Amino acid sequence: MPKLIIDNIAVEVADGVTVLEAAQSVDIPIPHFCWHPALGKAGACRVCAVRMMEGPVKGIQMSCMLPAQDGMVVSTTDPEAVTMRRNVIEWLMINHPHDCPVCDEGGECQLQDYTIAGGHGIRRYDGKKRTHINQDLGPYIQHEMNRCIQCYRCVRFYQEYAGGTDFGVMGSAGRVYFGRFREGQLESPFSGNLVDICPTGVFTDKTARFRARYWDYDMAPSVCPGCSLGCNTTPVARYRELLKSIARRNEAVNSWFICDRGRFANGEVNDPQRPRTPLIDGVESSRNEALKALLFRIAQTEERYGTGSIAIVGSSRLSLEAALLLPTLAELTSSGALCYFASEEESGRTLPLFQLLTAGRSASQRDVRESDCIVVYGCDPLQDAPMLALAIRQAWRNGATVYTVGDGISLPCDVTTVDRLDAVPLSDAKNPVLIRSAADIPDQLATTLHQHDHLKLAVLFPAANSYGASKLALKHLGVSFEQAISSGDIKGVISVEADIPQKLLEGIPFVAALDWRMTETVQAAQIFFPTTAWVEMKGTFINHEGRVQRFNKVMNPGVPIRGLDPAVHPPHIHRTAPPGGEPQPAWQILAAVIEGLGGELITEPFTGEWERLRGLDAECEGVIINDI
Amino acid sequence: MEQILFRHNKPERCVTFAEYKSEGGFAALKKALAGMSPDEVQQAVMDSGIRGRGGAGFPTGKKWSFVPRNLTGPRWLICNCDEMEPGTYKDRILLEANPYSLIEGMVLACYAIGVRHSFIFIRRGYEQAATNLRRAIAEATAEGLLGENILGSGFSCDIDVHVSAGRYICGEETALMNALEGKRANPRAKPPFPAIKGLWGGPTVVNNVESLANVPYIIAQGAQWFKETAATPEAAGMKLFCVSGHVANPACFELPLGMSLGEIIDGPCGGMRPGSSFKACLPGGASTPYFTADHWGVPMDFDPVAKAGSRLGTGGIVVFDQQTCMVAATLNLVRFYARESCGWCTPCREGLPFVVHTLEQIESGNGSEEHIAILKEHVKYLNYAFCALAPGAMGPVDGLLKHFEDEILEHIKTGNCPCRN
Amino acid sequence: MIPTELKTKLQSRVSAAITNREAAVDVMKALQAHYGWLTDEAVVEAAELLGLSPLQVEELATFYEMIYRRPVGRSVIHVCDSISCWAMGGESLLSHLSGLLGIKPGETTTDGTFTLLPCCCLGNCGEAPAVMIGDTICGRVTVENAAGLIERERNR
Repeated sequence: MPKLIIDNIAVEVADGVTVLEAAQSVDIPIPHFCWHPALGKAGACRVCAVRMMEGPVKGIQMSCMLPAQDGMVVSTTDPEAVTMRRNVIEWLMINHPHDCPVCDEGGECQLQDYTIAGGHGIRRYDGKKRTHINQDLGPYIQHEMNRCIQCYRCVRFYQEYAGGTDFGVMGSAGRVYFGRFREGQLESPFSGNLVDICPTGVFTDKTARFRARYWDYDMAPSVCPGCSLGCNTTPVARYRELLKSIARRNEAVNSWFICDRGRFANGEVNDPQRPRTPLIDGVESSRNEALKALLFRIAQTEERYGTGSIAIVGSSRLSLEAALLLPTLAELTSSGALCYFASEEESGRTLPLFQLLTAGRSASQRDVRESDCIVVYGCDPLQDAPMLALAIRQAWRNGATVYTVGDGISLPCDVTTVDRLDAVPLSDAKNPVLIRSAADIPDQLATTLHQHDHLKLAVLFPAANSYGASKLALKHLGVSFEQAISSGDIKGVISVEADIPQKLLEGIPFVAALDWRMTETVQAAQIFFPTTAWVEMKGTFINHEGRVQRFNKVMNPGVPIRGLDPAVHPPHIHRTAPPGGEPQPAWQILAAVIEGLGGELITEPFTGEWERLRGLDAECEGVIINDI
Repeated sequence: MEQILFRHNKPERCVTFAEYKSEGGFAALKKALAGMSPDEVQQAVMDSGIRGRGGAGFPTGKKWSFVPRNLTGPRWLICNCDEMEPGTYKDRILLEANPYSLIEGMVLACYAIGVRHSFIFIRRGYEQAATNLRRAIAEATAEGLLGENILGSGFSCDIDVHVSAGRYICGEETALMNALEGKRANPRAKPPFPAIKGLWGGPTVVNNVESLANVPYIIAQGAQWFKETAATPEAAGMKLFCVSGHVANPACFELPLGMSLGEIIDGPCGGMRPGSSFKACLPGGASTPYFTADHWGVPMDFDPVAKAGSRLGTGGIVVFDQQTCMVAATLNLVRFYARESCGWCTPCREGLPFVVHTLEQIESGNGSEEHIAILKEHVKYLNYAFCALAPGAMGPVDGLLKHFEDEILEHIKTGNCPCRN
Repeated sequence: MIPTELKTKLQSRVSAAITNREAAVDVMKALQAHYGWLTDEAVVEAAELLGLSPLQVEELATFYEMIYRRPVGRSVIHVCDSISCWAMGGESLLSHLSGLLGIKPGETTTDGTFTLLPCCCLGNCGEAPAVMIGDTICGRVTVENAAGLIERERNR
């Protein structure tokens, strides 16, 4: 634990921490472009210059290259260091275009910030600026090479961190060019991170170009609902439109990055076809009318078919808050079935694996990154949960051996293929992780886990809250909807963000649905309530490892202003909600139904053993639950 | 005068393997393998006082001693023949005349350091030297002087010749290792130093051609003998000085280290060419601050040249006469470095073109006093670049500012180049 | 498409290398010798031989001065523009050669015979000014003897 002094402040940091990070730890920001916590040091930009006054090295040094050591006395305010940093900015600004007003990065540009902060304001170089021809990198990423300050972050991320081979650096000296051999869409499933790590505007999100400035963004800490990993994001919205998502750091989960599938997934939220109004038999109505109609038909169904004729169906993509209210609703409707899975198939590939995740067993993405032996068994991480493939690559880069059981799995690293699980030398490994998405042979897996206490298990579940759904399904003895209808007694369904295929609904006279997506179930429903998407509400998911993560509300629900017919926008009638602003979080609709059925008014879904999750901060690493 | 590296030279042709052997070649290798331990070979090189001939002047034996002896796994020796510093051509002259001293020296170095596989990294344009080396390697291998179980000693080593495709930065030892590995030749961060973690992560020694080629003579004739071939007691050995520019006889000479600049120019170089008088020179290649007539008596050895404000560098002396515009000469030099920057770090990639632009303004008569300030600032702050390329590039600019500020001011004052008009 | 014989030769060069990448410069140079310059097709072929992506070959090809990623003439005339040759009249030699060939530096004669390129130090400083025609380095090139050198190369 080296102790050093930075600008007269005593600092103690862990071994291997750089002087730059040591300074950050006491809120002394040192400018940096090439250094990135996930990519490490490069020493290329030279903007993090400080003066070492005392200690093992002296003079002007790059703080990103220097591990903190005992006895170091560091000055960030030394005149020569300040001049060096200003000179670096001047050098970079020689060729950087003065196009900030028309640059999408303006306002969130590190170069812009450091140019202002560093004091370079008067241009001494009066020669021409260097220019480049841009490449079309596909529908997601805009390329603007003239803005490049050659920090090499992009290529270091793309090739070294993510294992891509179709993007890199060409040329030498002032002619270096970051791009592809030929124009075309970037092949890496992690290409969107170029947007996040570029310290200036070379790579911007093409899907959100010229839509908003940083200071106008609606944004909040959130969680990606794309798979069960629960990568942390910051979605960005403006004028009721979800514009883009930015990766948000969580060292226990996704570190600094997210996958393209999760990033470029705004379409469903902004979808003009998205159902936004309550419906009774296909006719638009108010929330109150829809609630009345629902209560009436619940009573009617019970009257007609008897107790136990209604099924309450949730899903593994439903927020934990709503999922927690389903048992109460089931009780009040004297339902015949409480379901958290629509199909037997989903239930079958979720519950057996969930049951193997005993305390201390489940592996986080960090556990994967830090593992020395990884077994990919019966799953395809690049398809099922791309960020896990990226985590596997980091383990491999640190020297881990990666095994795949059976052929046909491609990963962004070297793999050793074995034909049976017991061919992997698990006993020799220090902290092995097994990755699995479906348990057709859970017995063998259970045996392996039993034999190897130190083996952790990363399960790729089907959806964002599969873990929460499984927990509740087991606790409340839920069955899959498919199984529930096999008796033939189910005559009514209340589907809460569940994806029930049309064929399972055949012969069921009463269907009510709550959802924010236009699904087959919604289309089959006689009564419909629009719910908010995850970015339009505060909510909670439990990720694949049992980590409870809160996401905050980014934006109000409503039809995006973009694309609105000028004849109806701005609106000419007085209203309190924006057009399309009826959606409510599913749990609030459920609370109203419960109240309507004679239950207590619920204002806080987390009660009893769940109460401790009430104040969960969306910006923490989340909390692991396996004792509830 | 006694010659070491040039003693086997034949007029107008390369020495043959038979000639080299009959004139005492490979005797050092036989001596070492028969009766010296690797440590004794290293000690002899250390005792000889020989300092690296590639430019930095680091003691060769000391460099070898940094390689940890107890590590398992491969370790490497690389002979740096990426001789691309303008004004430097000694290694080419040596290898075109005699590739065998280098081969013998490399085997001795491999023996001392415990290397099984070594490389000669040779620049594009030196195809004749590469051909000579490949032939010499084949001949030596056929005679059991290279390859498996050399001279029955149980010691084995190979030499591979890698011909580059032309980039000055490949001569920087860590960039060279990247180039050899087939990566972009950006320099690597130090630490870790090559002796600990170099080529493919293994301990690596990178030595210049001339340094390695001297090793057989140190072993054969003794460290003390080698040391005393120098002209001063402080210096050690002979040095190849390759002279170019406005002297009567620009050529490559093997001379005792410590001979004065004046003795070299007036002696083997035959003085200035007719009609020329000495104005300045680069004493050791393109990255060294200028010497002027004031430095005529400076002994051409590492420390005295450094004390006089420059560097002995590669021993490439480029001489300029009274008609040379020193602003234009400096502009030419910095242009070279700006073009040869690898593009990795900001000061080098962006700062050097700034210096080029500034010198262009002065040279074209559009200079101002502010330009002098810009040059001075760059001389100082380009020192904080990633590798030694940019600081080296500022050597001549430093010299220009120190010795020829009047000439710069005249450009600025008259709005003209005084040498051109 | 490169001939099978060359391909086999390069495959064995790659398999003899310590890592595939180590052979990259040799492979690029061999393909350049075959095509005259490193064509786009050659980059793709080099990538296949080396087990790299075309981009990764391009990263190396564009780094080096003497790998040509644009067409060049049958012979490339490299004119040293570094300090020793500059001192000995290299600039006027370049403009003289430019006039003789009727092309600017960087251009190729219309008959495709010569490309004129300034280049960095050729290591022939004692015989400045120096040029390299193809693989042959010539020293003490003057306005008087330059035409002869070009003619000799043209008739080679």
